Amino acid sequence: MDLDALLRCVGTTSCVVTQLTSGMIIGMLLFLIASGVTLIFGVLNVINFAHGSLYMIGAYAAWTFYQLTGSYFVSALGAAVAVGVLGVLFERALMSKVYGSNVLMQLLVCYAVVLISDDLIKIIWGPVPLSMGMPPEFRLPPIRFMGGVIPPFYLFMILAAMAIGLLLWLVIVRTRFGSIVRAAAINGPMVSALGIRVNLYYAAVFGIGSALAGAAGALAAPVRSLTPGMGFSILIESFIVTVIGGMGSIVGAFVASIIIGLTRSFGSIGFPLFVDGVMFLIMALVLIFKPSGLFGRAHR
Amino acid sequence: MTSRWRDLGLAGLGLVLLLLVPVFGAPPAIRDFIMFGMAYGLLAMSLNLLIGYTGLVSFGHAMFFAAGAYAFGLAMQSGKFSIPAAFVLAIGFTALMALIVGAICVRLNEIYFAFLTLAFQMLFYNIILGWVSFTGGDQGLMGGIPRPKFLGIDLADRTQLYVFCSVAFVVCIAILRQVVTSPFGYTLRMIRDNQERAAFLGINVTMVKLACFVISACIAGVGGILLTLFVSGAYPNFGFWTTSGEAIFMILLGGSNVFLGPLAGTVILRLLNDITVSYTSHTELVLGIVILVLVLGLRKGPLDLLAERWENRRQAAAQAIRDAADKDAAKGGS
Amino acid sequence: MTSIESGRASRRRVLKGAGAMAAVGLVGAPAISKAQTGAIKIGVPTILSGRVAILGQTSVGGLKDVFDKFNAAGGINGRKIEMVVRDSKGAPQEAAKVTRDLINNDKCEIILDAEASSAAFAVQEVIREVGVLCIHSNSETSSLTADPKLHVPTAFRTARQGIHDAIGGGDYAAKIAKAKGLKKWATCSPDYAYGRSNTAEFMEYAKHFDGNIQVVEESWPKLFQPDYTEVVTKLLNAKADAMYSALWGGDLVAFIDQANLYGLFDKQASFMVNLGDYGVVDQVKQFPQGVYSGGRYNRVVPPTKENEEWYQNYVKTQKHKPTNWSWENAVAAEFIVEALKKTNGDTNGKKMAEAIKGMTLKSQFGTKGSVTMRAEDNTLVDYIIGYGVSLSKEPYVADFQSSAWEPIFELEKQWKKKQGYIS
Repeated sequence: MDLDALLRCVGTTSCVVTQLTSGMIIGMLLFLIASGVTLIFGVLNVINFAHGSLYMIGAYAAWTFYQLTGSYFVSALGAAVAVGVLGVLFERALMSKVYGSNVLMQLLVCYAVVLISDDLIKIIWGPVPLSMGMPPEFRLPPIRFMGGVIPPFYLFMILAAMAIGLLLWLVIVRTRFGSIVRAAAINGPMVSALGIRVNLYYAAVFGIGSALAGAAGALAAPVRSLTPGMGFSILIESFIVTVIGGMGSIVGAFVASIIIGLTRSFGSIGFPLFVDGVMFLIMALVLIFKPSGLFGRAHR
Repeated sequence: MTSRWRDLGLAGLGLVLLLLVPVFGAPPAIRDFIMFGMAYGLLAMSLNLLIGYTGLVSFGHAMFFAAGAYAFGLAMQSGKFSIPAAFVLAIGFTALMALIVGAICVRLNEIYFAFLTLAFQMLFYNIILGWVSFTGGDQGLMGGIPRPKFLGIDLADRTQLYVFCSVAFVVCIAILRQVVTSPFGYTLRMIRDNQERAAFLGINVTMVKLACFVISACIAGVGGILLTLFVSGAYPNFGFWTTSGEAIFMILLGGSNVFLGPLAGTVILRLLNDITVSYTSHTELVLGIVILVLVLGLRKGPLDLLAERWENRRQAAAQAIRDAADKDAAKGGS
Repeated sequence: MTSIESGRASRRRVLKGAGAMAAVGLVGAPAISKAQTGAIKIGVPTILSGRVAILGQTSVGGLKDVFDKFNAAGGINGRKIEMVVRDSKGAPQEAAKVTRDLINNDKCEIILDAEASSAAFAVQEVIREVGVLCIHSNSETSSLTADPKLHVPTAFRTARQGIHDAIGGGDYAAKIAKAKGLKKWATCSPDYAYGRSNTAEFMEYAKHFDGNIQVVEESWPKLFQPDYTEVVTKLLNAKADAMYSALWGGDLVAFIDQANLYGLFDKQASFMVNLGDYGVVDQVKQFPQGVYSGGRYNRVVPPTKENEEWYQNYVKTQKHKPTNWSWENAVAAEFIVEALKKTNGDTNGKKMAEAIKGMTLKSQFGTKGSVTMRAEDNTLVDYIIGYGVSLSKEPYVADFQSSAWEPIFELEKQWKKKQGYIS
């Protein structure tokens, strides 16, 4: 515990600005992943425990595309699309077989996919951690703002994540596709009875959720090391976010991501040894006092 | 009452069979396999009291596995306790922890219960990791767990340890069996099937759930103690969420509707693990594929499947007898 | 790959025995009883899956070459060495179980423990009970061999030891700190036993050699933490003159990539003990200038013909570069082979331990062309240890300064007294 240090930091603008942005960086990447989890849960009512693997595959795919094309933007887009397609395949071939059955069966299928993809990554890319390196267009000196420091790439990352989030929200709220998806989330059989092929929409939603994870992987690739099993730690954090925000709520995921991001960035100064503990404490408190999460509809 | 005596008889028979293993000079590897399986078996069996019988899906059961292990290990390393005293102390600690955690968790339903137990487990895990001076942090309890003799029993001897573990294991299984066949056990099933109806019948659902939660945690704690004795140490990953996940897989692999299903699942998963580890360095790939085949192919635990088949056949046979009787009756009438 | 293949084939045969026994359950009798006539089996519990699969892979790579040579020369008394490698996934209880199985089921007569630290402690407890020869080849945690409470007569260590690194590194850091006036230090190490003890010891000896050094900030990212942003900004706020880090592997690569974005390395001198490893130093894409790294394994340290040959041969057979773990395991294998020659092939734990205790082995990885298994605490000494300046391309290190062992011995003795290990 070093609460003095935390107070000192809060007292200086440079520290506050730097930690605020670093909280946003951590939070926004988390948001991209958690929004996929929450979207899939909200519509399909399944918890995709394999979401961390999709993130990992996104990062590795981006790495390979980058080796081939040399363009970061093409690689990021390619990774998102590739993981989206993979997500659709995963949904059709495996997850759709266990809809409606026990949540534990779904868990088991996801666990199998996590194991298989970790090993396949090791076979294809090797166990040595890979690094993509910062694309040349982002190799710029950090921006100084009110005494704080913000790297240009992170600024791009925050804006990209926010833009994707906004786009997702607009699609769900404003388009015909979105209204059908929302309807299917509430009553799938009824939508089906209206002559709409709900299965296609389920697959599409799973694909979109997966593409979000792929995009997050691609955004993380230049700054995080790529190893088999890298989806493991991100998975549990994205669940904390999903639960705090409310299962199924994209706005909730956004707010919760920022809460977790700021907990990490300021916590590392104030209570560095118990940051993880505090995250789970927040999760437990939310569950105790408002089980449906900050923005969730009461479920059942 | 007769079924109770039959169950106890079966438990006794099981114990005798387990004890015959060393008598017939089975190699140490098999004894190790059984002891390891008994520790994890208790974890899975006790979790199934929550999942299979009460409908409480806990993602945090391993915290009690770790609680038993650490409390026992720390008590023994302090040098102030005999093994039975430390055993009782560890169970007591686990029960207390379960009482507190359970009181908060059992009010929630379904997936929220699962997430809250997960959160508490990770909180506990982080405390174990962070409290280095007391728990040894990530390195666990090092330097071995001392095993002073008590009542002439020396657990440093591998055969005596095996006997000790077998007795503890069979006693726990017998207790679980008594619980699920008692009126209390039927109350649990009623809560699982229809909580509102149970409440309507005047059952204090929260209290019953809490009692079940504590019993189940204590049995998991015994599992943790057995594992601590086996590896002569306790480690934080006893209480990590992956250990809870493993217990769930054991239940699913074996079947949650048959009493001994989780135990079968434990044996299956351990065998799978030992075999893949010996054959290949791609353990994850093989295990993943096997799980997929089992889940998508069978969709049920093997024991559940067998039980269903058996039930179907019995009903078919009963039907055949009834048909024959009908025919006879028809003949007699003509 | 040939010997691994043959290893696998025999694993299968052994397994049939095991599977049959387990399946038949209680009735099965031990199927394999030709322990004394067949190959000498060496059990290797290690990590082959997950994030640190590279540890197991490069450890086995280091072992294989030595055993292959031994077998090609005809083995001993007609018996050859066969490795049985098992994945424990890094979990201590699995490591204990796997080790027991290797001994009891696969009839391994020697254990070569290529586990990371916490699992190594679990293996140590098995060895205490069973009494076969065991060499820990990867665990650097000092207490494993230094703490007499943990001592096991038949267990040895060929891994480098944290306290040695700390004394040598502290001396090197103090010299540079004096020359450049680096007074305010920050640390950034993974939050687990290795990172904590390693960092505390390094800073203690840096202060010992240069009284002006003070630690102004400590940061403890979690092991395998994906994002270091909050750590980097915290270090930035500390405005230290220098930083020490015990991060390793992919974590270190990610930390450097992320710290680069903030220009952290332009503002301070950095000492990173684990940067020198292949798989780390050659993975960093934007290499900071003037970073100091500890000696792990490098093909030009020492700059001898033997070392270059060893490196070339390793890359040729394994298709990847050797790591620090590779040489530690190669040395472990050499000790086993030499001890077998001394006991004339008798694998009895006590006899093997007697042979290895105090043994000096000709080795290119030693400062004087040899390494020694110190008799008093069963741990390796006289291996090459030191620091240099890291480079972005081959040979990845410049100006490597090997630490002298005499001052290390002296301070290590004081450290042991302070810990209450010796009186």
